[in-house]
Amino acid sequence: MSISGKACIAGIYEHPTRRADGISTAQLHVDVALGALADAGLSLADVDGYFCGADAPGLGGFSMAECLGLTNLRYMDTTETGGSSYLLHVSHAARAIASGQCNVALITMADRPLAANAGPVLAGVDMSLVPEREFAAPVPLPPVFGYAMIARRHMYEFGTTPEQLAWVKVAASHHAQYNEHAKLREVLSLADVMESPLVADPLRRADCCVVTDGGGAMVLTSPEIARSLKRPVVKIAGAGEAMKHNAAGRMQPMSSAGQFSAAKAFEEAGARPGDIKYASLYDSFTITVIMQLEDIGFCEKGQGGRFAADGNLISGVGKLPFNTDGGGLCSNHPGNKGGMTKMLEAVRQCRGEAHPAVQVPNHDLVLAHGTGGLMSSQHMAGTVILEAE
Amino acid sequence: MRGKTEILISSELQAFTEAAQRGEFNLRECLDCGEVHHYPRAHCPLCASRNLGWRASTGQGRIYSFTRMPAGRRAIAPAIVDLDEGLRLNSVILDADVHKLAIGDPVQVRFQPDAQGALRLAFTTPDAETARAYSDRAFAAVDADREGFVAGAEPALVTTVAVVGAGNMGIGIATAFLKAGFSVLMLDQNDEAFDRARTRISETFQRDVQRGRLDPAQAADQIAALQTSTDMARVAEADLVVEAVWEDMALKQQVFAELDRLARPEVCLCSNTSTLDIDAIAAATRRPDRVVGLHFFNPAHVMKLLEVVRGARTSDQTLALATHVGTRLGKVPVVVGNAHGFVGNRLMIAREHEAGRMLLEGALPNQIDAVLTRFGMPMGTFEMQDMAGGIELSYRARQARGEKSPIIDRLFAAGRLGQKTGKGYYRYAPGKNRPLTDPEATAIFEEASRAEGITRKPIADSEIEDRLILPMINEGARLMAEGIATRASDIDVVWQTGFGWPSWKGGPMYHADRIGLANVVDRLNALVKSCGDRFAPAPYLADLAAKGGCFSELEEI
Repeated sequence: MSISGKACIAGIYEHPTRRADGISTAQLHVDVALGALADAGLSLADVDGYFCGADAPGLGGFSMAECLGLTNLRYMDTTETGGSSYLLHVSHAARAIASGQCNVALITMADRPLAANAGPVLAGVDMSLVPEREFAAPVPLPPVFGYAMIARRHMYEFGTTPEQLAWVKVAASHHAQYNEHAKLREVLSLADVMESPLVADPLRRADCCVVTDGGGAMVLTSPEIARSLKRPVVKIAGAGEAMKHNAAGRMQPMSSAGQFSAAKAFEEAGARPGDIKYASLYDSFTITVIMQLEDIGFCEKGQGGRFAADGNLISGVGKLPFNTDGGGLCSNHPGNKGGMTKMLEAVRQCRGEAHPAVQVPNHDLVLAHGTGGLMSSQHMAGTVILEAE
Repeated sequence: MRGKTEILISSELQAFTEAAQRGEFNLRECLDCGEVHHYPRAHCPLCASRNLGWRASTGQGRIYSFTRMPAGRRAIAPAIVDLDEGLRLNSVILDADVHKLAIGDPVQVRFQPDAQGALRLAFTTPDAETARAYSDRAFAAVDADREGFVAGAEPALVTTVAVVGAGNMGIGIATAFLKAGFSVLMLDQNDEAFDRARTRISETFQRDVQRGRLDPAQAADQIAALQTSTDMARVAEADLVVEAVWEDMALKQQVFAELDRLARPEVCLCSNTSTLDIDAIAAATRRPDRVVGLHFFNPAHVMKLLEVVRGARTSDQTLALATHVGTRLGKVPVVVGNAHGFVGNRLMIAREHEAGRMLLEGALPNQIDAVLTRFGMPMGTFEMQDMAGGIELSYRARQARGEKSPIIDRLFAAGRLGQKTGKGYYRYAPGKNRPLTDPEATAIFEEASRAEGITRKPIADSEIEDRLILPMINEGARLMAEGIATRASDIDVVWQTGFGWPSWKGGPMYHADRIGLANVVDRLNALVKSCGDRFAPAPYLADLAAKGGCFSELEEI
């Protein structure tokens, strides 16, 4: 069953903090939930569907539903696929609304790895129980190395250059200057990025996203309810999700699961990549963006680097402005998960409420895409296409 | 209440690890669909069959992609490997020249222990394996030497060792002997030195206990085996004497004359001198056949290398005892000839001299150190000097000789003594040991260049590498010509055990052979033209290169 146009995003909120000293994870979830409900003009009592990932503390959905005071719940989904979780939540919530299982769906995300001094880990995930860990390497290998290997292979197969990777960061920094909450607001030149130290050759520190605390929330509802509220109506035009993994030693790392999730989303939306006016692209690392540009179909496989270097990602300059809030590379990547913030900026663009300096003029159709997990092994992609009514 | 968390080990892991212990890499094989898979499961992830077996992998593959951890203590390159069997694995290449890797390069399985000691799958390169095999032969040759000396007669039984001098080296040496279960009698004229010595030694044992490396009761026994005295006559109680007083010939001769008078006649007298003539020291005694150099490296209880310095009159029996004791200390005793700096430091001095020279010409410490770590050394020369207090040592040694050094003198005057003062060639954040580039230090280098009339200019990394490594090879050739090193491979063992040269790169002399001696000579000659005669190839090296020979020919042992 297609859900195209059968659910809308009515409210959004991004926590302004980037470092949550003295604020508990539960409190962050409450802050963003109330913020999104206020944006929508709805109340806790209206919420009958709740969605969260493993960052929801304690007993997850149970704990947060009680903590928030959600008394009318009849639908819950605690899907956890790393950073892409919240794109999947949007898809699942839209399907639940379209099939009449709930009317008002609340999605919250929040974590505080900086304040908790936790490092680049995902909340609520016990790595010691990963089944293949028994057979893992003798030394720990942090996530950046997986993406660095993707980047090197991409260079080898397609002639992508470190400068092309750097252009992704340059573009993000051009946008971040207008976001007063962005962690890094300085506009970077290509030389600035290229002078950044190598952390996992060929990736430099500037090729990596920021580590931040905070979070965000969304409220989804039916088109009828959405039209009764005082906010611009943002419809879910289509959504898709797909997974790839090591496949017992048969992985093909030069294309990501985004290839399949995007194809499904476009099919559901009845749209093509060329129709998209703005894209929120997962930007854990610069190479992540380049891979997704290709896998979603914004350019040919292997041309992502050139696409970025031609300035196409910069709003007002290129043909596909991306991450106009500064994205995870410059603004916010709360809890080491960028899916929620990807959705939020896509909604702002679709409403026409992004910062005027970066708002795309025609915002009838926008896209948000996330890659959770490790692109070099297990990862889950989620694509959501939004349509302004 | 819940008990201790269960740690479940799969039967697949058990079987996999048992094979790994035999060096075999096994893939899980489905006996129904015929496909192999990794990581091993109890079912076939392709057809769901539970009818599984194991298939031995060749362990050979090629690099699909890789990255590198920043240069550091160990060479680590996370890699995706395409096995010859067609499987693509996320793994890691360890202990190999990770800065020379390329996509498509061959790699092979080499199981490595993790932090808990469990054997895990990893890869290495054929070059690294060849170098390690050479290293094994080089160490075997050193072992064979020792057995050769011992062949005459079993070395005398040593239970009590006198360590003369309670300074830094004396403390380290005493700790090494105590940890190996010897009784130690520490002798010094200065009673107050013993307090510091005892504190330092206790701290070392305490750390080992805290880290679970040493049983507390055993630690107590070993510390109790330490005695201290200002009465030199008690040296008569010792079965072996190790002198570690200040590096001054007159003082050493005086001490050895006294030791010779007081120690039992059959007892060997060892000197920990790092620079002085062991024959001149032996001449102060009536037992020059029982005088030998035991050159420990700082910290003496940690460093594996022990240079056993053979004087002109040192007997084989004395060498047998010295090498035997060295082995009991858990060290690698390498017998070397009597010459200033012996073997290890001679190569080190050659490298450091040129490193200092390049600082004056325009390079900075972090650039030079990065060349060394990319080459494979665990640490750069300036970082090491900052850590070991090299600026102060070098300053004091030069003062004693009346020599000047434009950079070291200025660093010393600025109170930049290394990590312990928070700044040296680098600066250090409080409590941290990560070297940070310091504009103040750079200003000092620039001022030194101006004072010397040198116009600073950038130096390419390739030139830095040549100027650091080739002089070491040249110096090694001189040691061979002088007979200070018996075998080129001994030099390599010295640099592996004392200076961190990785076993996967053999050693400086092995490296020379790998790049080709004719090539080494050509590059040295090029440096003669651009930098000066100090790079002139040693005649021994030039001759060997002309004959098409190599340094490190070692028979399979």
